[in-house]
Amino acid sequence: MDPSEVEFLAEKEMVKIIPNFSLDKIYLIGGDLGPFNPGLPVDVPVWLALNLKQRQKCRIVPPAWMDVEKLEEMRELERKEDTFSPVPSPYYMELTKVLLNHASDNIPKADEIRTLVKDIWDTRIAKLRLSADSFISQLEAHAKLDNLTLMEINTIRAFLLDSLNCMYKLRSNLQPGSSKKQFTDY
Amino acid sequence: MPCDRKPMRYGHSEGHTEVCFDESGKFLVTGGNDGDVRIWDGLDDDDPKFITVGEKVYSLALKNGKLVTASSNNTVQIHTFPDGEPDGILTRFTTNATHVAFNGSGSRVAAGSSDFMVKVVEVSDSSQQKTLRGHEAPVLSVTFDPKDDFLASASCDGSVVVWNIEEQSQLIRWPLLQKTNDVSNAPSLCRLAWQPAAAEFLAVPVETKVHLYERGSWNHVSTLSDDLLTQLVNVVVWSPCGRFLAAGGVGGSLTVWDVSSKLCVERQKHEKGFTVCGLAWSPSGSQLAYTDTEGCLGLLDGLGSSGSSSAAKDFDDLFDDDDDRPMDEGLSDGHSPGKKPHEDDEDEDDFHVPATGRARNRGAILDDENSLDAGSVTLSRDKYDVADGGAVLPAAAAPAPPLRPAYEGPLPTAPQKAFQPGSTPAHLTHRFMMWNSVGIIRGYNDEEDNAVDVEFHDTAVHHAMHLTNSLGHTMADLSQEAVLLACPGTDELASKLQCLHFSSWDTNKEWMVDLPPGEDVRALCLGRRWAAVATSALMLRLFSIGGVQREMFSLPGNVVSMVTHGEQLLIVYHRAPGFDGDQALGVQLLQVGRRPKQLIHGEPLPLSPRTHLAWLGFSAEGTPCYVDSDGVVRMLNRSLGNTWTPVCNTRETCKSKSDHYWVVGIHENPQQLRCIPCKGSRYPPTLPRPAVAILPFKLPLCQTSTEKGLMEEQYWRSVLFHNHFSFLSSSGYEVDEEQQTRSQKEQQELLMKMFALSCKLEREFRCVELAELMTQNVVTLAVRYAARSRRMALAQRLSELALEKANQMQEEEPEEEEEEPESSAGDTCHMKGDAPFTRDTQVLGSGKPSSSPAHRATSILDNMASGRKSSPLAGSVGKPNKGPVLKPLAPRPKTKPRGGLTRFTAFRPKTGFQLWLEENRKSISADQPDLEETDVIKEAMGRFRTLTAEERLVRNRMWVLLPAVLNPLKHNNNNNKGLFTSRLAVASVGTSLILSFSRFAILQQQRDMMIYK
Repeated sequence: MDPSEVEFLAEKEMVKIIPNFSLDKIYLIGGDLGPFNPGLPVDVPVWLALNLKQRQKCRIVPPAWMDVEKLEEMRELERKEDTFSPVPSPYYMELTKVLLNHASDNIPKADEIRTLVKDIWDTRIAKLRLSADSFISQLEAHAKLDNLTLMEINTIRAFLLDSLNCMYKLRSNLQPGSSKKQFTDY
Repeated sequence: MPCDRKPMRYGHSEGHTEVCFDESGKFLVTGGNDGDVRIWDGLDDDDPKFITVGEKVYSLALKNGKLVTASSNNTVQIHTFPDGEPDGILTRFTTNATHVAFNGSGSRVAAGSSDFMVKVVEVSDSSQQKTLRGHEAPVLSVTFDPKDDFLASASCDGSVVVWNIEEQSQLIRWPLLQKTNDVSNAPSLCRLAWQPAAAEFLAVPVETKVHLYERGSWNHVSTLSDDLLTQLVNVVVWSPCGRFLAAGGVGGSLTVWDVSSKLCVERQKHEKGFTVCGLAWSPSGSQLAYTDTEGCLGLLDGLGSSGSSSAAKDFDDLFDDDDDRPMDEGLSDGHSPGKKPHEDDEDEDDFHVPATGRARNRGAILDDENSLDAGSVTLSRDKYDVADGGAVLPAAAAPAPPLRPAYEGPLPTAPQKAFQPGSTPAHLTHRFMMWNSVGIIRGYNDEEDNAVDVEFHDTAVHHAMHLTNSLGHTMADLSQEAVLLACPGTDELASKLQCLHFSSWDTNKEWMVDLPPGEDVRALCLGRRWAAVATSALMLRLFSIGGVQREMFSLPGNVVSMVTHGEQLLIVYHRAPGFDGDQALGVQLLQVGRRPKQLIHGEPLPLSPRTHLAWLGFSAEGTPCYVDSDGVVRMLNRSLGNTWTPVCNTRETCKSKSDHYWVVGIHENPQQLRCIPCKGSRYPPTLPRPAVAILPFKLPLCQTSTEKGLMEEQYWRSVLFHNHFSFLSSSGYEVDEEQQTRSQKEQQELLMKMFALSCKLEREFRCVELAELMTQNVVTLAVRYAARSRRMALAQRLSELALEKANQMQEEEPEEEEEEPESSAGDTCHMKGDAPFTRDTQVLGSGKPSSSPAHRATSILDNMASGRKSSPLAGSVGKPNKGPVLKPLAPRPKTKPRGGLTRFTAFRPKTGFQLWLEENRKSISADQPDLEETDVIKEAMGRFRTLTAEERLVRNRMWVLLPAVLNPLKHNNNNNKGLFTSRLAVASVGTSLILSFSRFAILQQQRDMMIYK
């Protein structure tokens, strides 16, 4: 899957906006949205929020987890734990990116948040690589990873699967040789 | 000595910091290097009020609601307390003042300065100054003789001087201190202190000791010292009773001596060892506040209690030990638990304190406690709540010093100040001046900017505006048409009203009006095409939105707040002084517009006990509402004689005690209380931008946890929030018919549910009571329900009720018709058009919206009883419209006999068809004059058939049910013309083919009847 596709999926997440226009309920295939009252928060999908924001029709209320203190806590937890800690939103990276790119004026301390989320991301990706490495080096048959987000899985999927395939091929080529040869490897 | 050292807390940025108590002992006031004076409501106050007085505060003194500060701009200024409004400059020096002090009565202030001078200024008239010259270096500190004759000062030249104030001459001069060149280099601040009350001693900190000089003789009579006190003493201060002397020193030492015994009774160390530079004893004598040079504030608590507790202990000692000491000495020693045994003898020789003196002192302490219990503590706390809540109290209303109140009855409450609903307190530098349904007005008032930002929720109204606030506007209101701003008057400038009429179609979008001199704007609001201003002269002035002056009238009291909606104007004012924390507010509701009238004539506004008004407004639909400081939202119930009903308590939803909801708007339809959650405060900060939350309403009915209570709450809430429909239609506004229908339907459904519940609980009387609230056609449904659940007695009563209701409607009908133009029976369109109007008159007349003939426009329980809307009348059969069903019931000369006849005959089923026909022929023909004779017979036959059929089924006990039962059949008849004709055919021709049709019809009837079994 393309990162842009994951981002597309992430845009279905709901986010609170404060519209500055008035509109009745709108009936869409995905569900009803609204009614929009100026000054009153309403939940809409991210794609609509961004669209309205770009037309300066609303202010976006950042999700509760998009807060410096909470993210700092998360970062600490992520660094402390060896396993993946639960993330506040399955699309935390994508949402941070799109919201900060388009509505950084509505999000207090946008730069800090960007840094923090990037830190969390880096920590998690490092863990992912590390676990992939140990997975391969220990020749495990299966592994279980909890609390991974779609984006994270996607970043590693292509590479990991391809390399596993390659290794499998290499190994299966080695196999008919004999166990003796493997032995000499040691 | 049992004394509790509270943890230090941050007060100011680092540097010299001073502290004092206000006279009530409630507030701690500190001034520091950051130029702010903070007012702490106890040490735990997380959100102290602050007054910015300059870049630095060198010294401060507080008395009689006047806060005197020596600040960095070489002046000594006065601010009012606790408002913090500048009250002029007392005096100036050529360089900064170093210490200021009040005299005992608070009439004079002494200030010492770095320009070697000491000035004594009258507070009331700052031109009355006395200058004391003679020091040869910056003055360190000054203190007044409590008897007001002398003044003592210490200076960097090493001298402590006593001055005669009147003669402005030096009386005596002691070279006691180390010489330095500046206050900042002085090893000790050498804050002198004169014993209060007795005025016997002047305490002078000299190095590590405190010298006491006797007044008059000016002899050095004693020295207070402590072995553990090794560093310089900085500050000394007397306890209010004059018995104890506290000293704070370099290195953080805090020492308290009992002066009579010269014993150290308390020794504490600053937790971090910073130098103590400010020290203050609370008026009750139980607390000692101190500040250090790092800007922190600390408190020693429980000092006052030491007296009595240690005395008690000594009583025990007295009886336990076989000691022959005189009792009074035992008592006097009681204050020195830290004493060493060998010192005892000395004390007895040097200071002999008589027992009476001791008793008096104890009495004073007890008195204090009693008087505090008597309500002044709670009172002052309430008052501070008021101040905190945004309505800052005038200083003049501050309570009398609670030390010795002469009067112990209910104390008057300080009247709350006028405020704009939806604004945050004016002393904030960044504040909301208005947050309403239209938009937000923010005010900025800091060094770089004094501006007003106007932002609209709906950008379609107008784009955002940024205005420079050169006039210093403090009040604002915002509507769809204009922005109204006002500033209070100053000495030179009159109070101004400025209106930005942005919706004006001409090019002049702005106008300004000066109020007459001496008249200040207190509250303002914008209505539809008009503006109202309440002033300090108890006047209410109306302006048109274009700036034309309109009506004006006097208000009965000082305005508290004022809001408008459309043409309504709601004014809340002080009716009388309130007592014991309550506010006595009055309310007026006026209609300003085409038909000006007063709707509420200055009735008292009910508030929760010991609260004040926090928000006032109209719901979006135009019903007056308000919120008190306890978070209770009340709404006007127009249908119950303009009473106020609590509809929500916002505090119930708060997670923590210090959280509040700041209400910004109320909507009745849908039911929404729009407010901003404020964590740990009463109002939100401007940044980060607060988000609006929605709270549900909940009437505080009993037992809402039970199903019954829950439904009752829902029902009455629905009724209450339904009131605005009738108001709107009566004042000529458009009403959302659909919404109205829906809410009526909801009410009736709730009633039916409650009815069913009561039925289940075998509460038949309650069932009837509920049925009385129902509309007539829902009652019929209730009848069916009762019959189905085999409650015949109930069913009978209910059907009587149904009849009664029908009669009631019949009686109401003529009233309507008198107002309506005579309409023919077929003129249904006309009826429809008038419907809202007639409904309204009914509702107003009966005061019971549920009894209105809702079936006309509404289709309550449509799904349940498909179209059983007609009344038990034959007359309506031929009409397609359900609306005028009741029409023939009206006792109009022409229709009345017919109506009555029909009804009576309807319940005489035992007569044969012929007899029945004879009686009804007239009515049928009158009903449908276009029918042929045969048709009349057919019609009559059809009716008779339905009657008899039911009669057979329901039998004599149920005969009263007939009208209810009849309805569905009639309705079917109306709709199924084919069926109808088939019956007619049976009557006239009787062929077999058609007979099957008739059988079908009977089957259908029977099926209907089955429901009753």
